[in-house]
Amino acid sequence: MKNNSGYLMAGVFFGFALSRSGASDYNFIHYMFSGHDLRLAFLMITAIVTGAVGMQLLKRLGNKDAHGNNIEINRKPLNKNTVIGGLIFGTGWAVTGACPGTVLAQIGEGKALGLFTAAGMVFGTYLYARFVEEPMQNANKKD
Amino acid sequence: MKFLFADLWPWWFGGIAIGLLVPAMYYFLNTALGVSTSYGNLVKILRPDTRLKWLNSKDFENRFNWRFVFVTGMVIGAFLSARVSGMPLGTVQMGIFTELANWPYAAFMLWFFLGGIFMGLGARLAGGCTSGHSIHGLATFQRSSLVATIFFILSGVVATCLIRQFIFGGV
Repeated sequence: MKNNSGYLMAGVFFGFALSRSGASDYNFIHYMFSGHDLRLAFLMITAIVTGAVGMQLLKRLGNKDAHGNNIEINRKPLNKNTVIGGLIFGTGWAVTGACPGTVLAQIGEGKALGLFTAAGMVFGTYLYARFVEEPMQNANKKD
Repeated sequence: MKFLFADLWPWWFGGIAIGLLVPAMYYFLNTALGVSTSYGNLVKILRPDTRLKWLNSKDFENRFNWRFVFVTGMVIGAFLSARVSGMPLGTVQMGIFTELANWPYAAFMLWFFLGGIFMGLGARLAGGCTSGHSIHGLATFQRSSLVATIFFILSGVVATCLIRQFIFGGV
C-alpha cells in the first residue's frame, strides 16, 4: 500500500488532464475519426513524442527510478490477437466515443451514458477471462 | 488560472501533460501507464469468488491494488475538472450522438453497453488500450503497439463512417 497516494495523484492528474483537453468529449472523438477536427489526434501525437523524449531522458540518466531500482519497460506481445483485438477495440471506441480511460473521465463529469459504456467494458473483460483466457490456460495445462 | 481551469486546454498543452505521465509513472512508481487491465479488478470486485484463472493471476491478487486506486483517481480528477470549468453536475446527453440518433433512451443505453463490450474484449485481446498501447507503447517504440494503434484507428474510422451514414442519416 506504500505507493497508493502516488497512484491516486497520477490518476487524478490523468483524469483531470483528459477532461480538460476534451478527450472525454464524444464529439471530439467522433470528429477525429470523421476527419473534421484532428485536435485529438494532434494531442495524442504530442503525448507520444513527449513520452518518448522523457523515456529517452530516463534512459540517459541510467534507467533508474526514484528509489534507485531499474526501470523495466512493460513489453507487449505481438500476435494475431493484436490485430483482431485492435479491430474490435477501435469499433467500440467509435461506437461509444470513449476509450477505457476517457470513459472514467466521462463518469467523473457526470455523463450518465458513460456508466453503460463502463459496465459494458467490465462485461467484455469478463467475457475475455471466461472465453479466451480460460480455454487457453486449460489447453496449456494439458500439454 | 482561466487558461488552466475554465477554457479547454489546447491540444499541445494536453498532449504534453498526458505524455509526461509516461516517464513520470516509470520514474516515481516504476509502473507503465495503462488503464484497461484495471477493468479486471472491477470484474473481481463484482465476482470475488470467481475461479477463472486469469482473474486469479498475480495481477488481481488484491482487487483494490494500485490499478483500482489509479482509476478511482481518474474519476475524481475528471469530477474536479468538471467543477472548476462549470459543467453541469450530470447530463443524460452524449454529444451529437443523442442529438442526431432519434432513438428511445433504452436504445442509447444498450448501444453504449454493447460498445463497451467491444472495448473490454478488444483491449484484452490486443493487450492494451489507447493509453497502454497508443501512448505508453508508442512512446517506448513497441511494434505491437504500432500494429494495435493502426487497427484501432482503421476500425474507428470505418465504424464512424457507418454510424454517420446509417444512424446520423448520411450527414
